[in-house]
Amino acid sequence: MNGSGEIALRLRGLRKVYHAAEGPVVAVDGVDLEVASGEIVAFLGPNGAGKTTTLDICLGLVAPTGGSVEVFGGTPRDAVRAGQVSAVLQSGGLLRDLTVGETVRVIAALHGVPERVGLAMERAGVTELARRKVQACSGGEQQRLRFALALLPDPPLLVLDEPTAGMDVGARRAFWEAMHAETRDGRTVVFATHYLEEAQAFAPRTVLLDRGRILADGPTAQLRGLVGDRTVVATLPDAGARVAQLLALPGVRDVLREGERVTVTGTASDEVARVLLTQLGGHDLEIAAPTLESAFLALTSERGGAA
Amino acid sequence: MNWTFLRIDLVRNLRDVANVAFVIGLPVVMYVIFGGAFGAGDDVVGRGNTRFSIMCAMAAYAGSVATTAVAGTAAVEMLQGWGRQLALTPLRPRGFVATKVVVALSVALGGVGAVLVAGLVTGAKADPPWVWWVTFAVAWLASAVFALYGLAIAQIFRSESAVSIASASLVLLAFFGNLFVPLSGSVLEVGRWTPMYGYAGLVRYPLMQGELVRTGPGAAPTPDPLWALVLNFAAWALVFATISVWAVRRGRRRQ
Repeated sequence: MNGSGEIALRLRGLRKVYHAAEGPVVAVDGVDLEVASGEIVAFLGPNGAGKTTTLDICLGLVAPTGGSVEVFGGTPRDAVRAGQVSAVLQSGGLLRDLTVGETVRVIAALHGVPERVGLAMERAGVTELARRKVQACSGGEQQRLRFALALLPDPPLLVLDEPTAGMDVGARRAFWEAMHAETRDGRTVVFATHYLEEAQAFAPRTVLLDRGRILADGPTAQLRGLVGDRTVVATLPDAGARVAQLLALPGVRDVLREGERVTVTGTASDEVARVLLTQLGGHDLEIAAPTLESAFLALTSERGGAA
Repeated sequence: MNWTFLRIDLVRNLRDVANVAFVIGLPVVMYVIFGGAFGAGDDVVGRGNTRFSIMCAMAAYAGSVATTAVAGTAAVEMLQGWGRQLALTPLRPRGFVATKVVVALSVALGGVGAVLVAGLVTGAKADPPWVWWVTFAVAWLASAVFALYGLAIAQIFRSESAVSIASASLVLLAFFGNLFVPLSGSVLEVGRWTPMYGYAGLVRYPLMQGELVRTGPGAAPTPDPLWALVLNFAAWALVFATISVWAVRRGRRRQ
């Protein structure tokens, strides 16, 4: 958190219930959150966690069923009108038969900033696509166009809803490099993702969402420790006799055995690897970083597995 | 009203060649066929001749098709999520609706104008000359209500075929609106309550002053007073406008 103390985004007891044919669906179930000016925050969660609905409410696209939302102390709609917040939307949002240049000029005109067309296109890397029809652009190019549109009002708060969904690795890296450049001047960024790596690489703070609730909220590095179970897998002669020995190592949570293959779960992956290779004669060793799934498993099981 | 938004949207609509041919070309072709099919095109009707009366009907059809088609594409834009993008700008829903009405009116100007020019060169007659000008103004400007109709219908059906549904149902409304064949009896009584009846009656008012064409032996149908035509027009305009604004708000949500 920076020292300015200004609150960019404040959510209190936020709830959203959709009425579907099969009954009410609770998309957001009591979310409390404050984001200070200048922070970069990741909303991390699986599909259906309530990320998009929460962001839609912050943008004034969806009205909450209960609770309150403030963007720079006002309503989301006021913040949108004042150019204080803009967003890269997950999908849609573009007219297929307009050119890239026309799209940027229309949105710039509606914001009353026609002079920023060139700058926004350059920063998002779509200048050379100006004459191309939107329908002829790749998914990554369309996402860069949406990014250009989001940069037009020069917003102090930028919201990104799974901005790299559907991009290949190269396009994803290029996108986050462009984003880094945009945050140097103190822009607040809130983004939704279901990639743990994106949260780790880009957001000092991560909010874990699941089924419309906040499971954890803190520095991303701490979160990693919190859910930091790595798995060490190795082939081990006489594995059955070694399970107890492995379980006794500090930081080991669980050991699974299938024939000669053992899977050790825990935080002390270095120590486990050393013991396996040097003392027990293990080979074909693999270490895997925690996945979002394992993170959620760890968090929900700590809560007593109520879900 | 944002001029850049208006200009780019207008250019977009005019780039669609098939749409332009359907909206501007078809009513002219229908006028030429209907206007020539009745041998008595030069018969005196009201302040002019039968050809002028048919020209009025086709001008009304051209105006309503133009505005319905433009507004229908607006609904498809909403389905593509463009409404969410616009909702992230200072543009208000009524600003969006107003812009679409102006774009629709511009295309309608082409459609109505083409039919009237066709009438002018094929012997449609009315006297005094102001009948021409008032007919033109009413057919063109009052077609705006069908922009609201297209937006409303298309938003109810919410699919890419919405434009076709809106245009096709317009043919039915045109029939009940007394545009294609002169109605009488109970069909006429039902027609008087339908959305196109007021608009069509107003377009023809300078020529007919509310009188209706006799369809057979016996008395001509009861004339339409001006207030009844205006009331029909205004009531349906209000209905379509209400649905449109509601639909634009709904379009902001995720599809």
